[in-house]
Amino acid sequence: MREKRVNIFCTIVAILVMLFLIAPLVVIVIASFTPTAVVVFPPKGFSLKWYENIFSSSTHFMEGLANSLKIGLLATALDILLGVTAALSVCRHDFKGKNVLLNYFTSPMYVPSVAFAFVLLQVYSQIGGIPGAVRIFIGHFIIILPYIVRNTVSVLHVFNWTLEDAATSLGANPVQVFFKITIPVAKPGILAGALLAFLYSFDEVALSSLLSTPKFITLPIRIMNYMELTFDPTLAAISTFLIAGSLVLILLMDKFVGLDMFVK
Amino acid sequence: MATLELIGLTKRFGNFTAVDNMNLKAADGEMIALLGGSGCGKTTTLRMIAGFAEPTEGSILVDGADVAKIPPYKRNIGIFFQNYALFPHMTVFENVAFGLKLQKLKKPEIAQRVAEILALVKLTGLDKRYPRELSGGQQQRVALARALVTRPHILLLDEPLSNLDAKLRIEMQVEIKRIQKELGITTIIVTHDHEEAVSLADRVIVMHEGKIQQIGSPNEIFERPCSAFVADFMGFSTFIQGTIGPQEGEKRPVSCSGKLLYVPSAAAEGIEAGSPVTLAVRSENIQLVAEEGENTLPGTISAVTYKGTTTRLEVTGCVAETVCPAVNEYTQRQLGETVLVHIPAQRICVYKNV
Repeated sequence: MREKRVNIFCTIVAILVMLFLIAPLVVIVIASFTPTAVVVFPPKGFSLKWYENIFSSSTHFMEGLANSLKIGLLATALDILLGVTAALSVCRHDFKGKNVLLNYFTSPMYVPSVAFAFVLLQVYSQIGGIPGAVRIFIGHFIIILPYIVRNTVSVLHVFNWTLEDAATSLGANPVQVFFKITIPVAKPGILAGALLAFLYSFDEVALSSLLSTPKFITLPIRIMNYMELTFDPTLAAISTFLIAGSLVLILLMDKFVGLDMFVK
Repeated sequence: MATLELIGLTKRFGNFTAVDNMNLKAADGEMIALLGGSGCGKTTTLRMIAGFAEPTEGSILVDGADVAKIPPYKRNIGIFFQNYALFPHMTVFENVAFGLKLQKLKKPEIAQRVAEILALVKLTGLDKRYPRELSGGQQQRVALARALVTRPHILLLDEPLSNLDAKLRIEMQVEIKRIQKELGITTIIVTHDHEEAVSLADRVIVMHEGKIQQIGSPNEIFERPCSAFVADFMGFSTFIQGTIGPQEGEKRPVSCSGKLLYVPSAAAEGIEAGSPVTLAVRSENIQLVAEEGENTLPGTISAVTYKGTTTRLEVTGCVAETVCPAVNEYTQRQLGETVLVHIPAQRICVYKNV
């Protein structure tokens, strides 16, 4: 009896927490269709004009989106190469200082990004003449690395290394073992890490706002700048866009590798 | 289909010698069991044959040719791993076909060879399943099929039956032996289970601390272990300390804590009279009798363990050590009952104490 009561209590709390998480998103999505000049809920009528404004606004959201995608995709791709190699070298061999090295690879996660941005800014100004795209790229490249390393390590921790011996005994040379066995088996972890890394880069604000130049501005900074001056439902519309985009990404991820990777 | 020869094979890890000067010659088509407890060097030996570990000293010859310079992926040795090591991202078909694809065989030939080997291990029809969708016994058959399909020179089996339940274990023992004989492939099987070793192999090698303790036919190893250590490992249950006397006809007396036991002279050859010895007997060979005679000792039952077909008793008071007969009588034996234990002289193994 007591157990049942606890169960009901837990269910109610869980539902409340979920409502708390999802309600603001629902409000924003619905409010984005309002024809009024300020965000109101519930919306008075229905209009797509704020969606149109995303494309026609002088704030060039689309250019920001393109910049964000470029930085995010490139940094994620290169970090997959670096992060997977690092994870493999740490997991495959037993050596002194193994954990130190692993913590070193994941340390960008623990350094406050504002402090990190400040350091980078100092370095850039000492060197001088570094284009905005490169400035932001380097920052993102470093701060998203831990997500890929950590997720890859989490699969490699439970990786059955005899699979490699088995493939070898069947005639696979080390390169074939790597591409036919190790990478495919570690793939869910790598992809989960890559998704988290990309999403982090995509909506990163602190670092980008300090490092961007007027010529190269990412989408979150564009939104921030816009918000400072105007607070119309364009922001709700663009938020809806981003929510939908993330949702699609996660659904694709679920379809191809399964989401259970994220809860490990 | 090849001969395998190990000459002075040694592997050291720092100061620790895992395999110590091992010599062995396996004939074409022979099945040899490496038997020993954990850390005896049997798995290290296997890894060296496969090419995963490099010998510190000595050489490995396959068909008379040294394989030291051949990388593991070119040795053409089939390996069955203890945890099966099936590729989780591939179906049964893809797992089995993996080695054939690497040999760049044509698709129809791959399909045919996979179908043949799956029929041999009785897995026809399961080729589209993933390993996680198979039972333990089925996974094991896939692993065996995958190791055999490339037609390796030598097959290595690492604890092939250790993960299976009793019924499946017996079934697979028969299967492995059948398949091995059918293909006539030279096989080394590594195991810690003496029953598995004697039931599968043509020859058994008992290893301890990197050294070969005894090489012999399953029967020799099972009935006449060469040392008290091997006897213990082979499941001998009763060990009695004593002092051996001079020959009396075909027999020699052994004085064991005041009692006299007779052993055949042949079993104690070369042991001087007056030497301290250890006598070893299997439970199944010790009987309970009604009348006193040679090698009968009175004692009291101190423990009874029912084992289904037999009942294992512990009898104290015969000699200083506990004697453990295994009886298959219908009458229930009671704790504290006084019984007469008979240890047949022909069944006693005699080892000089060192």
